Amino acid sequence: MKKNNNNDIPQKPHVGVGGPPVQQHDGLCLPDPQERRTTVMDDIDAMFSDLLGEMDLLTQSLGVETLPPEPPSSSSREMNFSMGFADMNVESLNELEENDLDALMADLMADLNDTEEKLAAELGGKKEAEAPHPDLPPAQHGLSFYPVPSLSTPTSPERGPNTFSAPLADSPAPIHSQPTLPQHAKPSMEEIEAQMKADKIKLALEKLKEAKVKKLVVKVVMHDGSSKTLMVDERQTVRDVLDNLFEKTHCDCNVDWSLSETNPELQLERGFEDHENLVDPLSAWTRDSENKVIFQERPDKYEVFKNPQNFYLWKKDKKTIKDMKDRDKELLVEENFCGTSIIVPDLEGVLYLREDGKKSWKQRLFLLRASGIYYVPKGKSKTSRDLVCFVQFDNVNVYYGKEFKNKYKAPTDFCFVLKHPQIQKESQYIKYLCCDDAWTMNLWVTGIRIAKYGKSLYENYKTSMKKAAVTTAWTNRTAATAATTSTPSTPSPTTKAKASGQANGHAPQPPAEPVAKVGNAPPPPPPLLPTQILPPPPPDPVLPPPPPPLTTKRSPPATSVSRQLPTLPTSFPPSPTSMANLPPPPPSLSQDDSSESPPDFLPPPPPTLGFGPGAGSLPPPPPVSLPPPPPPDPGFPLPPPPPDPAFCPVTNRGSLPAPPPRQSYIGAGAPPPPPPPPPASAGLQSTPSVRRTGPPPPKRTTPPLAAPGGGDFMSELAKAMAKKRGNQ
Amino acid sequence: MAAWDLSVTVEELGPEATPFKVSVTSDLHIGGVVLRIVEKTQIKKDWSDHALWWEQKQQWLLQLSWTLEKYEIHADARLRLTPQHKPLRLGLPNGTTLRLQACFSHPVFQTVIGVCRLLNMRHPEELSLLRPVEEKKKKKDTEEEVVVYDLTSLRISSGPAHTLSNGMPVHFADSPQTEAVYKMLSVSLPAPETITKTPRPTSLVDKAQVHSRWLDSSRSLLQQGVQEHDRLLLRFKYYCFHDLHPKYDAVRLTQMYEQARWAILLEDVGCTEEEMMLFAALQHHIGKVSLSEPRLMKSCPAMDDLDSALQCLEVKMDAEECSAEDMLETMTVAPELHDYLNIFRPKRLTLKGYKQFWFTFNNTSISYYKSKEESLKEPIQQMNLKGCEVVPDVSVAGQKFCIRLLIPGAQGMNEVYLRCENELQYSRWMAACRLASKGKSLADSSFSNEVQNIQSFLDMQRTTPGVKAAQTDDIINTHGLVSPRYHKKYKSKQLTPRILEAYQNVAQLPLTDALLRFLQIWQALPEFGVCYFVVRFKGCRKDEVLGVTNNRLIRIDLGTGDVVKTWRYNIMKQWNVNWDIQQVAIEFNGNVNIAFSCVTATCKIVHEYIGGYIFMATRTREQTEVLNQELFYKLTGGHEAL
Repeated sequence: MKKNNNNDIPQKPHVGVGGPPVQQHDGLCLPDPQERRTTVMDDIDAMFSDLLGEMDLLTQSLGVETLPPEPPSSSSREMNFSMGFADMNVESLNELEENDLDALMADLMADLNDTEEKLAAELGGKKEAEAPHPDLPPAQHGLSFYPVPSLSTPTSPERGPNTFSAPLADSPAPIHSQPTLPQHAKPSMEEIEAQMKADKIKLALEKLKEAKVKKLVVKVVMHDGSSKTLMVDERQTVRDVLDNLFEKTHCDCNVDWSLSETNPELQLERGFEDHENLVDPLSAWTRDSENKVIFQERPDKYEVFKNPQNFYLWKKDKKTIKDMKDRDKELLVEENFCGTSIIVPDLEGVLYLREDGKKSWKQRLFLLRASGIYYVPKGKSKTSRDLVCFVQFDNVNVYYGKEFKNKYKAPTDFCFVLKHPQIQKESQYIKYLCCDDAWTMNLWVTGIRIAKYGKSLYENYKTSMKKAAVTTAWTNRTAATAATTSTPSTPSPTTKAKASGQANGHAPQPPAEPVAKVGNAPPPPPPLLPTQILPPPPPDPVLPPPPPPLTTKRSPPATSVSRQLPTLPTSFPPSPTSMANLPPPPPSLSQDDSSESPPDFLPPPPPTLGFGPGAGSLPPPPPVSLPPPPPPDPGFPLPPPPPDPAFCPVTNRGSLPAPPPRQSYIGAGAPPPPPPPPPASAGLQSTPSVRRTGPPPPKRTTPPLAAPGGGDFMSELAKAMAKKRGNQ
Repeated sequence: MAAWDLSVTVEELGPEATPFKVSVTSDLHIGGVVLRIVEKTQIKKDWSDHALWWEQKQQWLLQLSWTLEKYEIHADARLRLTPQHKPLRLGLPNGTTLRLQACFSHPVFQTVIGVCRLLNMRHPEELSLLRPVEEKKKKKDTEEEVVVYDLTSLRISSGPAHTLSNGMPVHFADSPQTEAVYKMLSVSLPAPETITKTPRPTSLVDKAQVHSRWLDSSRSLLQQGVQEHDRLLLRFKYYCFHDLHPKYDAVRLTQMYEQARWAILLEDVGCTEEEMMLFAALQHHIGKVSLSEPRLMKSCPAMDDLDSALQCLEVKMDAEECSAEDMLETMTVAPELHDYLNIFRPKRLTLKGYKQFWFTFNNTSISYYKSKEESLKEPIQQMNLKGCEVVPDVSVAGQKFCIRLLIPGAQGMNEVYLRCENELQYSRWMAACRLASKGKSLADSSFSNEVQNIQSFLDMQRTTPGVKAAQTDDIINTHGLVSPRYHKKYKSKQLTPRILEAYQNVAQLPLTDALLRFLQIWQALPEFGVCYFVVRFKGCRKDEVLGVTNNRLIRIDLGTGDVVKTWRYNIMKQWNVNWDIQQVAIEFNGNVNIAFSCVTATCKIVHEYIGGYIFMATRTREQTEVLNQELFYKLTGGHEAL
């Protein structure tokens, strides 16, 4: 297992450090899935070695010299790292600032954790679902943490003393491996083999999937002109990235925050929609493009939900629109967005159209319909059947044009453009329209967005509102606790939060303002505090692992807990561990499956549930107040609705690998999380945010070394960084 | 009290039979009268459905405990003992006619509820009965041709309606005939060829005429002169469809679709050419799917992505260990296309024409190489088809199998033609291109489906009788898919490719999704759900049009069709009807008052429309909600309800 780590680690630093290879890498990765496809494999083991062989090829071709590729070991973890870090013209990695690199590593690490946890969770879930399966020997009940170790079995047998694991002898991993081994003796060899095989397949599939995931390093320009670099994988939506940025910037999280792309060459700008995939549009950028991703507040983003009358009653006189009551606004939104069909504002008006290839702008009467933009041909009426289709929205996006008066001699500067997202340069396929005033332009652009995105737009808005409401609640809470300095009682603030979030659905910002500042000075998420105390861990694997990003909120005890765990497993029967991966305990099982969703949230403050997914993405309050107890401790006073011990594991399962198995995971190279107080951990990673990276540790902290295995990988990365610094 | 003779006709004895004379006193209650008549007839049968109908006053005597005095019935009254439920011929939105037992004694609102219950349609408040257009008697034969499906034998049990597993209510399962009827109700029928014969509304006034024929919801059928065996139309009247749920609404959904389709084909609601093509494509698709697909609501689990595949694998793995490997194999070895094809790029090689290369299709990209041997090297070019336009250019007769691709790139769109050698090759590459344009790879489960689709198109083209030269996919019958206007404007040959182009985007939809999509697009039309009435506003000298929709009233210029003004219901304070002068007066917030008299319809109909929409808005989303009939009558009934 450790060997594998050796294998992957070198690649990643290289990707990070060596600029040019990055691109090659990107190119090289593509063919590999197809090669794999064409190969007929009659044996899984063969497949594994095959995979590995490919990896070796890949590594060699990259000219990795630091560590020669290991002989085929079965883990395909390499796939994770080999995958393209396309530098998308954003900036090649070697040009990145060091702090950027740090941040990136944090992202990466969190990313890995996520994957591993997801895998573990999935596995756990499967196991439990299969619980009653006759094929599984009842003996397994005793092997509480058998399955997960077996998950890593493809690699574990080959695990040998390794440069990095040796110094870590006192850390959990080695200790843990001991209980694992005896377990193997118990069930019949066949069963084990079968189990191993099954796990291998699962692992392989997971990796295959993972391998195809494309990731981009994106430099995001902040509203103040500074920039942040983050890694975005192709499954992440703009919403995920925004959440990520919220954590990084500690802004007020209001609904106006958005990511936009600019195209300086065409002088275009467009706000991404929250449900969009960020990687997709960025992939359309050309290598030499000067396009940028900007993080900024765009009041026009959700204006239609705040003042629907401006769009749906645009024909009415100004006064009626202005005097609109809140109730009537809600009604308008409901009418147009909550029915079986989304109603598009019935815009019509004279706009200027830039003639193809000419420099003149011609006036035409345009109409917006759900199916596209139409114009009235000369001498015809406005009846539907006479309309001529100007453009349909399936394949185009709408962009704001900037300073077109100069560039294209437009009648005004209020222009918008419709083009296929792939088109990046001047082309006859771009359609330019010009409006009389900013207001009309806004009307049309918003109308087109409604026609194009329909319900998603409203869903996005609701999600944003929840997010904003929770943030408000959170900042309120911080302020409250700071003021009282008493032991914070988690439930009450959250209840307050809920109230404010729901009652004041429309304007969570005002109350947030003052508090937000409070929250900003000492950044709200407490995670920073513990980590700041930690010495910035040098790339030395010997160091006791600092908490991983996802677990930074937990105070040191957590780590110690993880250490003692390996010895415990057998002593407390339905420990989180056993629950997490085993079929056995039937009663809790059913409960478990049905309660799949609750675990996503923080059990302690029940109100959070009301906030939906947004809640999970916030660093949840409870951990602050919670001295994280060893999960097994039944007497521990948990906050309000104390998770029933039997339930805890359940909660845990969804998001975190249960402690002991986790260790073997870590061996496999990634996820650190120490066994946390189950409720807290569950809250930390609600499913919606699974892909989201955890709150990044402060700069210059070597990212998550909590777990020895993770340490291996990360320390390698850090080493490489150190090397780079040395070179400079 | 003095006894006097009351004359009562009993329907069972035939129209010619002399009326019975029953000796009664004024304090005898109606129940007693019925009892005496029944005794006198000496006919043994179930009389429970019978009630007395007062001919002169056009009134039912339904309160059995009321005395004759209270009803003010005297010796001159002519009463008729008649069943409350009588057979009625009911035209449904899909054009079929049913014969069923309808209630003639209760308000039409109740009658509709009863009919909908029988037909298993939820939310009967959205429907109502419409008198058919008076047919000119010149062609009697067509009248006779109409097939009537008899449902009079259906008896619905009281209590909650039970449905079988396939969604069919139990009472339809009695006989194969009724089962067939249910199938007909819940599955859309292919468009008949009679569209051109059906009268089409051409002006706003025509459209307004339709709405003059609605029956009054608060009076009974008999009171409105509807006789036994008369024909009425059942239609969705209020265009706000509450809680549409494909699982429970098979009939409702289908009938709604039919009504929408006819509204579009007859240009009752206007749409653009592009929209018409999309509607046509959806109709074509729905027609095709409903023929092949047995009415199953569950969607088949697509093994689209690895996620579900993984799950399947896991389940399978425990059961049979070895087969898992096979499965893994099929999953990892993704399908790939490679072939020698000809390519033509109009821009660059205008003179050169088609040139042969070795093509491979991978994921969503096409790459081509000089030859098969060089396919391991860098391709000459790789084209990602994601988001591209795919247009077929095919003629089986001419053995021409081309695919036209419009691929977006940074510089604009690139036009590329691919020419295949034969049908099989074409259908596979075409399917791959179509999937890729939607961002799906060859591994997608819909691939083989798509291939089959394309092949069947080609097959149909080949079997078209009288193979004409240079024909395109002349395979769909464009009649019945687009409105007659477009048949005049375009040739079928021109329409087909346009419909097929739109069809590409909907071809993968399952039946219910397609139905819902059709309804959604229909509802998104600007003219959707506007009911027109010709009115005369107070103080105006010319007729204007009032449009009533689910959320607003629209004042429209009769001549130009332009919207003059709109008022939303939520600013409406009250509305009144002056029944004497037949004028509707409405007061809005901010001291806005309007009043108008109705020209094309009675003002009761307009009043009921407005009240009905306001009633519809009071419905909540709760499933358990019981229809508040009282409120409905209150809002729509007018003076009779008070």
